[in-house]
Amino acid sequence: MLLLMRKDYQTHVFTNTYTADVSGVCSAMYELGGMSVLHDPSGCNSTYSTHDEPRWFDGNSLMFVSGLDEMTAVMGDDTVLIRDVARAAADLKPRFITLCGASIPHIIAFDFRGVAHLIEKETGIPVLPVPTDGLKLYTKGVGMALTAWIKRFADPAVCGWDKAHTRKPGELTVNLMGVTPLDFSVNGNAEALVRTFEEAGIPVNCCMAMNNSFEQLQQVYRGAVNVVVSSAGRRPAHFMEKTTGMPKVEGLPIGPEQTEALIHAVREAFEDGVSRVTWERDPQADRWEIPEGNILVIGEEIFARSLASAINKLPETDRGGMTAYGMWPDVNEDMSEEPLIKAAKEAGMIVGDPLFRILPGSKGKPFVSMPHEAYSGRINRKDMKLFATPGFPVAEIIKNALV
Amino acid sequence: MDNKEYQLIKDVDYEYDADIGLAYASPVRGVWNIVHMGTLMPQGHQIYVCPVSCLRGVVLTTAEMGAMDKMSTISIGEDNILEGDMEEQLFLGAERVINELPERPRMMMIFTSCIHHFMAVNYRRVYKLLQEKYPDIDFVDCYMDPIMRRTRPVVPVLWRQMHRSLKMREPEELRDDQVNYLGNCFPHEEFCDLTNVLAERGVRKIEINSCRTYDEFLEESRSKVNFVFHNTGVRAAKDLKVRLKQEWMQLRPGYTYDQYDEDLSAACRMCGVEPPAEEWSREQRRLTEAAVQETAELLGDTPVSIDYAAVDRPLELALFLLDHGFNVESVFVETFIESQEVFDALKAARPELKVYATAGWNLRRMERGHDGKVLCIGQKCAYFLDSDYFVNMVENDGLYGYSGTRRLMEMIREAYEEPKPMKELVQVKGLGCCCS
Repeated sequence: MLLLMRKDYQTHVFTNTYTADVSGVCSAMYELGGMSVLHDPSGCNSTYSTHDEPRWFDGNSLMFVSGLDEMTAVMGDDTVLIRDVARAAADLKPRFITLCGASIPHIIAFDFRGVAHLIEKETGIPVLPVPTDGLKLYTKGVGMALTAWIKRFADPAVCGWDKAHTRKPGELTVNLMGVTPLDFSVNGNAEALVRTFEEAGIPVNCCMAMNNSFEQLQQVYRGAVNVVVSSAGRRPAHFMEKTTGMPKVEGLPIGPEQTEALIHAVREAFEDGVSRVTWERDPQADRWEIPEGNILVIGEEIFARSLASAINKLPETDRGGMTAYGMWPDVNEDMSEEPLIKAAKEAGMIVGDPLFRILPGSKGKPFVSMPHEAYSGRINRKDMKLFATPGFPVAEIIKNALV
Repeated sequence: MDNKEYQLIKDVDYEYDADIGLAYASPVRGVWNIVHMGTLMPQGHQIYVCPVSCLRGVVLTTAEMGAMDKMSTISIGEDNILEGDMEEQLFLGAERVINELPERPRMMMIFTSCIHHFMAVNYRRVYKLLQEKYPDIDFVDCYMDPIMRRTRPVVPVLWRQMHRSLKMREPEELRDDQVNYLGNCFPHEEFCDLTNVLAERGVRKIEINSCRTYDEFLEESRSKVNFVFHNTGVRAAKDLKVRLKQEWMQLRPGYTYDQYDEDLSAACRMCGVEPPAEEWSREQRRLTEAAVQETAELLGDTPVSIDYAAVDRPLELALFLLDHGFNVESVFVETFIESQEVFDALKAARPELKVYATAGWNLRRMERGHDGKVLCIGQKCAYFLDSDYFVNMVENDGLYGYSGTRRLMEMIREAYEEPKPMKELVQVKGLGCCCS
């Protein structure tokens, strides 16, 4: 019994799993002209290409699995991987190579940095070691990959920063950090994000990493403020803040009020150089102690918090007197099902991916469907919402659900 | 041009194997995976115990089938590796699933993964404890461990494990009038000669894909004979021979008339019924030849391509079609499973035949397409040659023998005349499984 109380053992009877770190790596690197190599026996690659990558059928970006087998793993024979990557790279000539891995490389202590170095030496092509383990979520993988890419290919010095990294940018421009189809699909959300800032008079320096080229992203240090639009972008933004002091603002422009709050926060961060978020801090909600009879927004953290914040900015009558709370997967421990079920049972309304409809206690409650590629994959792709815009009708969807 | 997408068969050795480097996963997803297979078990429930990177694919496979009620998951975290509590996790996780499910499953297939082997997890003890605590459920150890694929490929092992709950019967319980088909995703019905021949002789077949209840599936233990059509079913048959003393036989899923006659006669003798008469065979050959001829005339010089996911013996089919005047241009295969005799004959018949490895890294950058119309047998060649004129089938589609060959010809004629929305169809995971 003690054992049962100690931990939940991550059993999922009703829920799906969010996509893993390895898919996050591949998704982040997809448009940059590289070759992603997933060190794994098999399966992670087809999961990515089938469920997590809407650009796969029509594109020709490079992502392969190493096909690690038992004997190679037991013997720790890394020469197999080095030889295989070198052969493929010789044929395909990628601009760079990203090396990530799943659980078996992790438990046999595969030396990502060392092998990356040897492949680079053999091929002459830059290799980014991204030591994922297949146990964490995509947000971590995206963040690790983007950070590794920035470290290797983006130079603060060429973007006007001195050695002490004390440049004061002359113009307010932003980088959008953590943009991948896993959170924004391919239905125009990435483009809407850029448009939102530009319509507010704030040029977008980089959209990292959709719709921008390798060269455009190399200019990432020319931005003045990093806008973290998904928690996937938190790690690279934090790295840039640490190295250059560039402030970061966390938030998404969902609906008019939340967009206004985000633009305001960005301008403030530009002025005072202090990082901030665009929602009210609530330690109780952070512990997922959500009061009964309210609106539960399930999704990626920045999305869930931003949408909850947008809902809470509506007049109380428009939201049935309820308050919205965000709930998001734990990036380190996957998402535990029990607190989610409890929260769903107690909620007055649920906003989230349609696959959450299966949660016990959610039947018969108002449910706002917000399909999320990182959760339900391609199943609901055609119903993805264009949410990253001031025009997103927050009031309308909540009112309609209440009717 | 230094072509890296395909080889000509005249330059290929019989020992060809494409599993030798980085692998590419094309968007073609019609072949069934172990999740699809597991959902065939009536009143069964699957639990996958893996890291999230492995779980994602299996859960969404199930969700796309609309069968989320047939599977649950337990995700392994860093803490489980460090604390070494994977046995506890397995036991308590399975208990929670049993307690939460609205209906008690009759069989529970628990899939452990690559990481369990490397962590030396004692899962057999866990199953024993579960079996003791929940005697009304049959617990079966299953494996999603692609790291073992060279010695213990997952699909044949799963077919074997799915039949592990069958127990030996008393001699008086055995039935002469029924047989089992093992290892088939698709029902073998009217386009399978064995089914027709046995049915005419009063022998019925049981195959898991058609069972509606678990008790119906357990009836398999009363059969005396098992038949296997695909190589992937052989392990199940061998296991049942050892445990249940059931005889077994593999029918060769090729395109050689003499083999059909030999195999059907041998199968009938195993079942203790009269083999087909020579007259029957002559009539079948006549009908089949007419169907093949009609198809060849329709296609004329149209190039034909065949992939290994559509039919079990793509080289043998290529040879059969070439012998009948078809213009077979390419095959998409990962390895050769036909005899060297077939391989050599094909090499002699069409030395310029193109051989593509579908998982090869160079195929990712292949310019998909074809000059003019190409008739594709299978989804993979349809994708790579960008053709809407294709036979949408995997794993032989339940075809066997003369009637199977005639049905294949009919499907080729239909495919030649009616284009299909290739992009939409080939991305559906598990042909015939999707709920939408």
